[in-house]
Amino acid sequence: MASTLVVPGQILGSTSSHQPGPGTHVYENNILASIIGRSVVLRTDKQSSKPVISVPRPGTNPTGIKSASSLPNVGSTVLCRITRVQQRQVAASILVVDPSPQDVTSYTRLTDDDMQFQAVLRREDVRTHEKDKVVINDMYRVGDIIRASVISLGDERNYYISTAGNDFGVVVATSDAGNAMVPASWKEMRDVVTGQAESRKVAKPA
Amino acid sequence: MSDRRRLNGPAGTTSPPVFALSKSSTKSSQKRTRKPNELRKIFLQTGVVPSATGSAYLELESPPESKPGLLNTSSTLKLSCSVHGPKPLPRTASFSPNLQLSASVKFAPFATCVRQGYIRDSTERDIGMHLETALKGVVIPDRWPKSAIEIAVTVLEGEDDQVDGDRIGGVGLFNLLAGCINVSMAALADARVDCLDLLAAGVGAVVPGPGKPFRVLDPASIEHDLILASCLVGYLPSRDEIVEIWSNGSVSNLGRDEDIGFDGLVDSAVAAARGSQTVIKEVLIESLTRTEVGAEKLPNDGMNDVDMNT
Repeated sequence: MASTLVVPGQILGSTSSHQPGPGTHVYENNILASIIGRSVVLRTDKQSSKPVISVPRPGTNPTGIKSASSLPNVGSTVLCRITRVQQRQVAASILVVDPSPQDVTSYTRLTDDDMQFQAVLRREDVRTHEKDKVVINDMYRVGDIIRASVISLGDERNYYISTAGNDFGVVVATSDAGNAMVPASWKEMRDVVTGQAESRKVAKPA
Repeated sequence: MSDRRRLNGPAGTTSPPVFALSKSSTKSSQKRTRKPNELRKIFLQTGVVPSATGSAYLELESPPESKPGLLNTSSTLKLSCSVHGPKPLPRTASFSPNLQLSASVKFAPFATCVRQGYIRDSTERDIGMHLETALKGVVIPDRWPKSAIEIAVTVLEGEDDQVDGDRIGGVGLFNLLAGCINVSMAALADARVDCLDLLAAGVGAVVPGPGKPFRVLDPASIEHDLILASCLVGYLPSRDEIVEIWSNGSVSNLGRDEDIGFDGLVDSAVAAARGSQTVIKEVLIESLTRTEVGAEKLPNDGMNDVDMNT
């Protein structure tokens, strides 16, 4: 695994022998770096395909080929904070894209909602079963942190996210009394102090 | 044109007394001690603004002070640049599949000899526009759909023609824009925004020589009494492409010398840009090694953290 420090415009290899990965671009049959960092050559499992040259960004997994940038993509997992709950949909702001278990940083460096990408969770995307019986107010409350997957880049403003699936739903929530809550079942969380139960669509703990 | 939101000091300026200079000291311009093809030394550092995604600070070597006079003639360039984003487009903006880049240049009130207000003036707008077109030629915009990026350059000290003392203009303006482009490129690379190449800018000029006019790289306005023609380019070295060009003066009437035609003028500006690019590259590599050394230390510091994966 050859690894050197590169700057934008530096030639990393030829398209005849390698494939361009994240952090690179192609110019005149050559693969050039497009960001600063260490170039990484990854051999693919399949014998037929060529090894991939990439320049990973700091904080992203070098093996995660799809995470070319820190922007949300279709299929990426995001952590969001619920900002508004309506009858038909929930508005949320995206805090982290593709969180890794070893992420020890705070949720985000940004605190301003206008600086974060906005997302919409429609009522029919909350869960896979009994979609027509979903009552949004029993699923999410303002301030909850949810894990969701991006299903569409959406319109000019919002990304569309979905919490259909066991792994998606509320991960951090506070009760009416303001205390932290722990998951009790897939649809219930309990206040750690008072024991009061509140209904949520809970993500399966890792 | 008064700014009502801030306390700006007295509107009527008080001018300090200016004494008539003796015959010997009126000539305050310094002679160029560098070789014609030698650039001023550049100080550049990235990662200076913690709250920004990427940032850089650039300073040019100040010319040696000839003799202490009434006017402080050592004028140099000090620029700070911060890159904010990629962030969501503003609410009013329409859908865009590309990165929306916007650049602005602001003079600090103390940047030039004559103190100026906070309101954006035409010089700042002009430089900002040129900077924006130059940077749009180097970023790969389709890597960041639906997002915007803002590049803000603050001029902490603008090299101006101190003898005239008035507004920045002429070759000082070119040097300022070249510095803005170089510092923005370093900040963009620090922010890890995808770029085609390391963009660099340089200034070349034709000055009257003892015999015939000759070409110089990186002319400082204070070192030359007269500049016949000057040219600025924004240049992508690995593709041999020019993304920004701005020239001033006339070279066509300087005789039939091939060496100092317009092509020669552009060539000297390109040579100056190549010189600046080596500095930007060195600084970025150095910043990478520095952050890697820092990152290796980090896991040891975090050893006492509570392990959540029980």
